[in-house]
Amino acid sequence: MSQYADFVAQIDSLPELVRTESRQIDDRMRLLLTTPEIYGIRQVILTGSGDSYFAAQAVAPAIRAWTGLPVSAMLAMEASRYLGAGVQPPSVLVVAISSSGEAARVIEATRRLRAAGALTIGVTANAESRLGLSAERVLGIAIPGAAPAPGTRSYVAALLAGYALGIRLAEVRMTMTMDEANALRAEIAGLAAALAEASRVSAEPLATLAAAWQEFRTVDVLGSGPALASAGYGAAKLVEAAGLHATAEDAEEFHHLNYFVSAPETIPTIVLAAPQSLAASRVRELLTALEGLGRPTVLLTGPDAPPGYGTWLELPAVREWFSPLLHTVPTAHLAAAWSHLLSATHYRGHAGPWHQAQGAGLVRGSAIEV
Amino acid sequence: MLQSFPLATVRNGLIDITASVQEAVARSGISDGLLLVSVPHSTASITVVSPWDVLGLEDVHDEIVRLIPTRIDFKHQYDTPQDAAGHVKAAIVGHARSFFIDNGRVGLGHSQKIYFWEFDGPRKRTVEVKVVGA
Repeated sequence: MSQYADFVAQIDSLPELVRTESRQIDDRMRLLLTTPEIYGIRQVILTGSGDSYFAAQAVAPAIRAWTGLPVSAMLAMEASRYLGAGVQPPSVLVVAISSSGEAARVIEATRRLRAAGALTIGVTANAESRLGLSAERVLGIAIPGAAPAPGTRSYVAALLAGYALGIRLAEVRMTMTMDEANALRAEIAGLAAALAEASRVSAEPLATLAAAWQEFRTVDVLGSGPALASAGYGAAKLVEAAGLHATAEDAEEFHHLNYFVSAPETIPTIVLAAPQSLAASRVRELLTALEGLGRPTVLLTGPDAPPGYGTWLELPAVREWFSPLLHTVPTAHLAAAWSHLLSATHYRGHAGPWHQAQGAGLVRGSAIEV
Repeated sequence: MLQSFPLATVRNGLIDITASVQEAVARSGISDGLLLVSVPHSTASITVVSPWDVLGLEDVHDEIVRLIPTRIDFKHQYDTPQDAAGHVKAAIVGHARSFFIDNGRVGLGHSQKIYFWEFDGPRKRTVEVKVVGA
């Protein structure tokens, strides 16, 4: 298959992945931590790089809301080199995410924080990886293989692991009843239908939009809360697949920063926000600002969104905490279509000026300092 | 015929189900026989308590909580600490109670009511009632 077909096949596989893997990851999570360990947790730090960081960022608000604990998503560099002095053992749970388990900075953060007394969980598809061997526990996210494409399935698996962790912590700490926990688990597995519907309603309109925007090389992807993580993921796919200069920014921060970038009419802007989002009122103001700039804009929203500026795509309604799962589909479709239009080679083929990235050498081969 | 009715508990403690049980008996059409009230759960029980002082109901529940408090060191950690404690409470109290039916009347005294006892609420529960003619 072509890389475009491979990418689309990965996107099309996501609903089934959610349906089949969410329960399995839940089952593994259930036995991962003892009850005394869960009651000993006073703070949760989720860390990762790239898509794994976006997964951490995506689930952190949900875990915070469900457990009432201080929960933060932290870039691997910050967690490894700039956090150590603040860790108060053994009350911190560190959840280090890396699908391969070989991201050097994530491994380093895990080793350093474990040495500082934190309880560490490696969320990885490879228990025998350096991350798997560095963390005290491993939450396995190995999933059935698929044709190569910019990471979508591994990102979804990391999201599922994050939600499973949050629900489990809340259930055991009794900030959520068992019935509520099981209802949320069923809701997540049931999101498979919403992902399939999101693909049905978004693939063609976004391909049309990519065709209209194909001359542009700079893109902003905007969102807040969990949708900021979706923005990061969406921007990453545009970079990886199409080679665009795509940037994710918070809907609030945009008004301070990229709002002022020149030639706004040449910067397509993707806004992620459901009408019931906690950031909805600010997103409405954002759309007015984008209209004033004349930026080409698409809003990925949900049912009953009030009218506003730009192209609107109505995605199925899901709980805001789970919107990152839903957003994987349209953002990946846009990247796949745009890349296809440009005949771009994913990751530039890891060739020419990009040859150092072969075998993920730039992220795996970095020197680990413990 | 087995009859059942749902019960959505909002807290742990005792919930009077006497009226619902009596209605089930009446629906059965059996005026003499045996009645079994049962719960298909492992963290809830059926018991009989005096209804006249609500504080007495609290005493009953408080006492079992004192005897078997929710702790984090139960060996059963598959679910939650409250669930683990609930298993122990329910095992001691029992999941069912039987009563005779005489001339259509459930065999309860003046100071007896039938209670569903929730140990792991709030939960969606079911109470099952079986009436067997004499």
